[in-house]
Amino acid sequence: MVAIAAILFTSCKKDDDTINSAEAAGKATISMDAVVGTNDFALNTNFTANGKTWNFTQLRYWVSNVILVNAAGVEYMVPNSFYLMEENTAVVTNSNFTYPAGKRENIQLTDIPAGDYTAIKFSVGVSEKYNNNLSLQAGELSQLNGMTNVSWMWATSYIFSSLKGTVNDGTTTKTIAVETGLNTNLKSVTLSLPQALHISSAKESTISLSADVAKITDGVDIMATPTIGASQAAEMTAVAGNYSSKVFTVKSVR
Amino acid sequence: MSAAYVKARFVLLALLLSTLSCKKERVNNLNLDQLHPEKLAVPGNFPAATDDPDNPLTKEGIELGRLLFYDTRLSGNNQLSCASCHHQNIAFSDATVLSNIGVSGKILPRHTPALINLAWATSGLFWDGGSTNLESQAFGPLTSADEMGQNLSELEFELKQVPDYQKRFKLVFGSEINSASVVKALAQFQRTLISGDSKYDQYIRKEAGANLTDQEKEGLSLVDSKCRNCHAGELFTDDRFHNNGIDADFSNDSFEGLYQGRYRISYNLEDLGKFKTPTLRNVLLTAPYMHDGRFSKLEDVLEHYNSGVKVSGTTDPTLLPTVGKRGILLTAKDKNAILAFLASLTDNTFIQNKKLSNPYHD
Ligand code: HEC
Ligand code: HEC
Repeated sequence: MVAIAAILFTSCKKDDDTINSAEAAGKATISMDAVVGTNDFALNTNFTANGKTWNFTQLRYWVSNVILVNAAGVEYMVPNSFYLMEENTAVVTNSNFTYPAGKRENIQLTDIPAGDYTAIKFSVGVSEKYNNNLSLQAGELSQLNGMTNVSWMWATSYIFSSLKGTVNDGTTTKTIAVETGLNTNLKSVTLSLPQALHISSAKESTISLSADVAKITDGVDIMATPTIGASQAAEMTAVAGNYSSKVFTVKSVR
Repeated sequence: MSAAYVKARFVLLALLLSTLSCKKERVNNLNLDQLHPEKLAVPGNFPAATDDPDNPLTKEGIELGRLLFYDTRLSGNNQLSCASCHHQNIAFSDATVLSNIGVSGKILPRHTPALINLAWATSGLFWDGGSTNLESQAFGPLTSADEMGQNLSELEFELKQVPDYQKRFKLVFGSEINSASVVKALAQFQRTLISGDSKYDQYIRKEAGANLTDQEKEGLSLVDSKCRNCHAGELFTDDRFHNNGIDADFSNDSFEGLYQGRYRISYNLEDLGKFKTPTLRNVLLTAPYMHDGRFSKLEDVLEHYNSGVKVSGTTDPTLLPTVGKRGILLTAKDKNAILAFLASLTDNTFIQNKKLSNPYHD
């Protein structure tokens, strides 16, 4: 089976100096724990949220342009940072080559210049240069994982995020497929850390975030628009906005 | 699905592939150790072409792209190649209103365009320009069930069974075979689909013995004054999007806005019903015409401009009422002259160019 491409990091020695030259660069794990309100997210499980019953079969989104901001406001941009976060059953294809079921909530960062970090920034989606040219490789970007879905091929670009399943409002059940994409919907997330996080070679640090799936469709009439894609431009922009401002919160840092 | 079953399928596949790879290849025996950077052969009357720094042309990359373009292994059922819909003898078009030869057998909603001078097509590919570059574009036909229906992991697997491909990919891209390199090679080849040696070109470049007849010259000056604001310059396209008045109602938003033209990409209401200006080069070879192949003859196209222009909010102003009548008024004599001139844009060198032809044919 096709293994997910190895995560490649190139260290940026120059940045090390500007942040702290005395200590060696460290590692950090960014964990993005999917939840539905106060419950842990799981596939094929009923959840009640926003007065409806939800049952999900897929949650996938690209995280890119990860930036750590230190106490002095200096930004460290993680090179090649494209990560596919997911909780997914196997993606059925027209061939024996399927994309396997998987759960991925953690991003491992290495070679982070030592320092005290106070905020994290990232984008949900794929930046314009790479979104416009599927043949360019960086980080985990790949055409093989179903995030360049055929229905998007007329714009030949990446699906930034995808949430699939069903929703029931008490009377009707709708199948939902909520996707974002297109350069205008590349939105960034900025989260302040509750306290400064010291990253260095001395210990491995963790930034724990929650990703609240119930917030993804916040403000969207999901019963009226259960399929959100490029043809539902307004709803898609609303969903992209939710990813940017509502879905992610910081749980803890250590 | 059981592992044994999968394995059996793979053995079958491998067998099938080994027979497929016995096809005769008529490609120059390249020296497969060395890469040779290549420049596009830009005709003297053409604007300069910009290189793509992310996919620099090499002789070997172009040749690899040619092998892939004509290779049926690229499709899910191993029966279709890019060339199944893009035939060289008709300037890489398909002489079909709407093709249904794709893997699913469904009718494609749009007409297959000719592939001509794509190195200059920088404002987007497809009739609505939705795809930004040739590299990304190729993923469209490759993966669409209604075209080649290929699974990209399977594509990589199948191509890796061919030692010649392994060598070529290694040389050209310095890596294992992967789908990104497949589309890069296809793009390199397609950038060499240059047509600039028609009778018109030879005339305009003042080549020895080249001339146009009086009627062709009259047609040229009519096209210059009435058509070339859109079918512009030496490429005979401005590479922009216009509503040329073939429709006036764009309320049908099915197939994710397929009938709404450029609007589905830009979401700008001013782009409703706008489609990319196709080149007029080789137009005698590329019937039927327009994004849905609705006109079977050039005479119909000219009659459309003369009397059929429909008016909506986005109809190009240059097609709006002239002397109390909409469209581009053309007399019978004008039409004949234009047709004569358009014939002078047929480039036999292009459609016979061996470097662009099927490398697997004897
Ligand atoms: C089943 C028929 C079919 C096959 C096979 C096919 N194409 Fe096409 N091609 C089309 C159609 C139809 C369009 C127009 C689609 C649109 O504009 O929406 C098109 C458009 C294109 C364009 C855009 C041209 C322009 O001027 O905008 C390019 C480039 C292209 N194809 C290359 C390829 C390549 C490379 C392959 C093989 C990987 C391929 N095609 C296989 C039917 C096909
Ligand atoms: C306002 C811009 C504009 C003008 C002026 C214009 N065209 Fe076009 N032409 C287009 C566009 C855009 C298309 C494609 C429309 C579509 O497919 O929906 C087109 C399509 C065509 C086609 C079909 C080509 C193909 O491959 O399908 C021909 C032939 C053509 N035009 C000839 C002419 C001639 C001859 C004139 C002058 C009498 C002319 N055009 C004037 C914009 C223009």
